[in-house]
Amino acid sequence: MEEEQKYERLFNDIDSQALITLGIVLLSAIVLIIVSQRLLNWVGNRMHGQVRFRIFAMVPMTRLLILITALAIIVPTIIEPSLRNMVTVMGALGLAIGFAMKDYVSSLIAGVVSAVELPYRPGDWVQIEDTYGEVKHVGLRTVDIQTPDDDLVYVPHLKLWDHAVYNANNGGTSLQCVASFYLHPEHEAGWVRKALRDVALTSAYLTFDKPIVVVAEEKPWGTHYRIRAYPVDPRQQFLFITDLTLRGKQVLSASGVPSAMLPPDAALDTRNAVGSASSRGVG
Amino acid sequence: MDEPSSSADTPLWKVVELDQFHTPEKTQASQWRRSLRSVSSWLGGKSDAEHQVKGESELRRLPEVRLAHLVPPIDWAPAASALALELDGQDAPVTFFITTPYSGHVAVVRQWAEKHNIACVPTPSLSELAAGGTEWVEQCAHHREWAVPALERCFLRHTQGIQGIREFLERALSGRLGKGVIGCDSWTYAFLQRVMGLDGAPAFTLQSMEGEQLSRYFAMIAGHGGQPPAVYSTRSGRQLLPDAETKRNEKAPYKELQRLAAHCRGHIGLAWHYWRERLREPTESEEEGLWMVDALAEAELAADTGDIATLVLHALLIHGGLDDHSLGEVLPFSHHEALNARLALQRKGIVSSYEGRWQVAPLSYANVRQLLESRNYLVDPL
Repeated sequence: MEEEQKYERLFNDIDSQALITLGIVLLSAIVLIIVSQRLLNWVGNRMHGQVRFRIFAMVPMTRLLILITALAIIVPTIIEPSLRNMVTVMGALGLAIGFAMKDYVSSLIAGVVSAVELPYRPGDWVQIEDTYGEVKHVGLRTVDIQTPDDDLVYVPHLKLWDHAVYNANNGGTSLQCVASFYLHPEHEAGWVRKALRDVALTSAYLTFDKPIVVVAEEKPWGTHYRIRAYPVDPRQQFLFITDLTLRGKQVLSASGVPSAMLPPDAALDTRNAVGSASSRGVG
Repeated sequence: MDEPSSSADTPLWKVVELDQFHTPEKTQASQWRRSLRSVSSWLGGKSDAEHQVKGESELRRLPEVRLAHLVPPIDWAPAASALALELDGQDAPVTFFITTPYSGHVAVVRQWAEKHNIACVPTPSLSELAAGGTEWVEQCAHHREWAVPALERCFLRHTQGIQGIREFLERALSGRLGKGVIGCDSWTYAFLQRVMGLDGAPAFTLQSMEGEQLSRYFAMIAGHGGQPPAVYSTRSGRQLLPDAETKRNEKAPYKELQRLAAHCRGHIGLAWHYWRERLREPTESEEEGLWMVDALAEAELAADTGDIATLVLHALLIHGGLDDHSLGEVLPFSHHEALNARLALQRKGIVSSYEGRWQVAPLSYANVRQLLESRNYLVDPL
């Protein structure tokens, strides 16, 4: 009898008015979330430059604010808001989550963290484990990444807890691209360096706000050159790398600079592929 | 940048150092208005945004003969004289004179050179540029003093096309070619500044014109020294050029022309094109006076203009205009794609042929510049 009275005190009386309120709040939250997400994504996709990223960054934050507001209305409607009641409810929820829905809830919580810490936001180019691509949508449980091969990969937010997230542009427009050239050891290195720099300087995709660096690294099979430069828009990265690679090859071959002859078992240096796309053209 | 002066007796032609250049009053407001117009046409389609006192249907274009009389080509001689004054005290081996497209750097430097009996270096041919030839640079070495009126004609944006201009600038800036004056498009200057660095050489430009100066200039060329005809704005119905009464009272209504000045960033060459293109006369023969239709109604670029069109426009501006073959050479896609994009832009009136090259049309320049700036492309300093 005493136990029954305890539970009665835990929950408010749910009458028809309370049910209508809950229904309206839930429906409004869902509608607001859908409308705000679609509207912000629609506007963001039609913008360019920094404005685009600012609008995209608002997408998860807006959803989080709507959810918190809805919860702030719903919880006191169902539960008598006292410390004792809250501890009881949280304890019960914690037990259920701990046993049954650990990963799901972990992803939801990581989703909240991602909305606050912004390790990725729509428009960013990220690498999580083996997936590299553009963040198209940051959902409640997953982040949707579109790869350059046009696959949409749904990565749960819980990866945030124990995996590195490589963000190539971090909410901005600067994304470093790397074009590699593998040359025979016998060549005039100073000339090649200048020529590759000119290749970058004359690319239509180049942004002049960031530096161009030509890196040369001596290898047992020859010299590995990399042009590190930034395109005007992160979405141009593959076109930019292709442009650098094609024109670089043209300039080098026109000047008679021979390509490196790699032994079949030579392992190419792939370290720099992380966080930025790197061409594999042999110039 | 200095604060703009609003004095009514400011000279029309003033050559200033590049860092002294300032845009006219209300330029920022003009950009916001353009953005707002672009957004509203994007959301709700193109519409007649503003109320007009006089409808375009009641007006007609002026006959070419009358138009040539009222709006003759700009005489750049006063600007050349102003440049000569600035160059008198210069000891630097190379001095740049830069202006935006259509704003006269070629004519000014050429007239200055003719007046001072200084040789103008002929520009290299496109085939010479494409091959990376540097023979044209030697032409400068034959003269103690020389002038290059159009530096934008001396390079192409590819690895071979910048070799000649690089050698030329290295030799010129170090003083090995004697003393020279270089006329240069402001977009080319911005590009070369980033690619080669031009900080060591002094650069001059024409100071921007405010609405009052435009009003004085248009009154002067239309009146030929006498009283100019009455020109009214279709937007407000007000008279645009000062008559004897307003001159005496110093209450000339410059609001409309200040709007035009802000829209053109104070560049007289662009404002002249607007003035010439927008002058109309009433269809009813008994009505007197001329009308200027809304200055901002121009060929508009859609907010969702694609990458290819954007790259074409940027390449045209960087080179001060290009022919179709050269355009294909400096863009990272096929000649066919470049040609298609150019044709589409031409159909919309955004590019036009000028002196044998495709250029951004004067009435679209402001829009194109704003679009490129919003997309993080390199833009000119003017």
